[in-house]
Amino acid sequence: MKRGLITWDKNEIPPRVFDLRLQSIRSEMSKKDIPALVVYSELWRSNQARFLSNFMPYFNRAFLIIPSEQPMTLLCGLSPRVYGWIRSVTTIEDVRPAGNFARTLSQLAAERGWRRVGFLDFDQFPWDLYQAILAEPLNAVPVRSTELRDSSPLFADGTELSMRRLAAKMARNILNDAMPSGPGQIDYEFTGGLERQFRRAGVEDLIILVTNGSSVPAPANGQTLGEHFSVSLAVEYRGHWIRISRAHGFEGSVQRLLEPGSAAWFENLGGSYPYEMTDRGDLQSGSIFAVHTEDRAGDKRVFYGDTCRYGESGPEVL
Amino acid sequence: MINRERRQQFLDLMADSGWDVLLVYGHSWRKDFFRSLVNFNFFGPHALATLDRSGEISILVSHPWDGEIIRANNEADVHYLRDFRNGLSKLRSYFKTAKLAIAGMELMEAGFVEGHEVSATNRVEALRRVKTSEEIEYLRKASLLADIGYQHFVDTIEVGMAEYELVAEVEGFLKAHGAEDNFMLIGSGGTEVFGMRPPTERQFRKGDNVTTELSPQVNGYYAQICRTLVLGEPSENQKRSFSIFREAQQAAEQFLKPGVNISDVARVQNDVFRREGFGEYTGSKYTRVRGHNLGLHPDENPYVLEDVDCVVNKDMVLIAHPNTYLPLSGYMVFGDTLAVTADGCVRLGQTEKKLFVKEV
Repeated sequence: MKRGLITWDKNEIPPRVFDLRLQSIRSEMSKKDIPALVVYSELWRSNQARFLSNFMPYFNRAFLIIPSEQPMTLLCGLSPRVYGWIRSVTTIEDVRPAGNFARTLSQLAAERGWRRVGFLDFDQFPWDLYQAILAEPLNAVPVRSTELRDSSPLFADGTELSMRRLAAKMARNILNDAMPSGPGQIDYEFTGGLERQFRRAGVEDLIILVTNGSSVPAPANGQTLGEHFSVSLAVEYRGHWIRISRAHGFEGSVQRLLEPGSAAWFENLGGSYPYEMTDRGDLQSGSIFAVHTEDRAGDKRVFYGDTCRYGESGPEVL
Repeated sequence: MINRERRQQFLDLMADSGWDVLLVYGHSWRKDFFRSLVNFNFFGPHALATLDRSGEISILVSHPWDGEIIRANNEADVHYLRDFRNGLSKLRSYFKTAKLAIAGMELMEAGFVEGHEVSATNRVEALRRVKTSEEIEYLRKASLLADIGYQHFVDTIEVGMAEYELVAEVEGFLKAHGAEDNFMLIGSGGTEVFGMRPPTERQFRKGDNVTTELSPQVNGYYAQICRTLVLGEPSENQKRSFSIFREAQQAAEQFLKPGVNISDVARVQNDVFRREGFGEYTGSKYTRVRGHNLGLHPDENPYVLEDVDCVVNKDMVLIAHPNTYLPLSGYMVFGDTLAVTADGCVRLGQTEKKLFVKEV
């Protein structure tokens, strides 16, 4: 759950990066004749709004509204008491409270004269908000993020890649240091140690699964880790998710997993969720994904995986 | 993994409501409806269980690792489909013309809902509000974790440490002691601080009011503790402010019992502030709620507010926390997890009810 450092380091992501991202999306809006685009965000589905504004709700829900010719507006379920904090870590100046998101949006659309409003991945909006939006005179236009990606580098530009590389490198380093001390520890103690190290390194969110080799990785349950334990992590650093799996005493090879025909699990890391299962065949140029596999160490199951990108010359480890 | 007491309650609810099948849905942030029936901490973005009138349970998950673990640990029929929407359609097709109700429907992606289902959210939420004895035990364990977690907070904090570093230490400590997860907010500073939020890089200073809300989770169930600590000798204003919060929380704790209305649990807290001349700080401009229910979600209904009409029942577990801004000291917090008994309530935690002070 998000409770780590949520910040905006302008050396890592300069303001002009967000400007370029907005330009790109506004260009697509113009082609589709959409005067405003609404991006949904919540605690667990914040990737798209984060990419465009660095905003991530630590609780509750929000609409990021991108007008074609005016600054962005955030309709927010959080209290106005934290709007100063929101402004300090995002590119957004106009933050407004919204108890009723659809009604507040409808009023804004009427004030601004928007004759239609685009909704990014509208069928993924929560059902209650979706119904409320349809009940308002908004002339809702569904816009698929995949359509936008086809004609622009949305959700996969150079800064995005370098931030994911940074997150992946951090995760590998912390795990490389921590794995040797695992055998003999209770899994809670081991995961607690990882939690402390990742949070101190500035990680916002962290999910840790472990296994002693008799099952797939799962949440810690009080077992003592053996010689062939594995760890699988989902890590969010500055809004950039990566996945990594490692096994004690086992050297895997991601390159081998990427060879056609190898048996592996693939997860899409480029959607609105932190990770979702996908098929190898669905990966295309620009896709950011994770791949994990299972091997054997004696009678134990061991797991290995990492975060990758499908580049122009094929898949590469980030 | 299956909550059998809830399953029976849900079956009775289905019979009473004329529903043939109950679907309980969860996603990564709101796993609570799913876990109220199938208590598994799933990894994939979605999970759903169906309960038919015969008591049979089928489970659909969106990550294969979840599927393997659940399959190995219970008697339910488990399906994994990468395309969750497609999986839902297939699952529905088994039930053909049956009347379907969904708990958590409002949280679902719109594309998951076909339109002929009814929402079971409010009625299932009402059942979940009253905890089983097993659930109260998990909440008691979570409260004890909150106690030792807060003690670690007090032991670890020091001038010059950044907020996020302290949070890292507390998170690591709670996980190492068996917490499944923890919801935590923090605030630090003086009268310029109007609330809590995720940790920042701000470094603690002498004289700071440091507020925190810890919500460790045990087997899915969140308990909560709110405390305020002063770095250095507290000022007279900080002491006076805390005495108001302590009295307000105590008023709620003394008042809480079966049959009272939640609106009055809020009112008795706010009345203390009004009497002291701080009534305006009990409204939405300065505070969110005066407490809330606890369980599989850290912020369950009902919210403790004067305009919420809900009768308190035995075995509800909630936190009363009169957290708000006061011009005396800035934002301050104070609250404990309370279990409603036959004739009152008991604190599930044991942390001392005081303004904590750390010598610097």
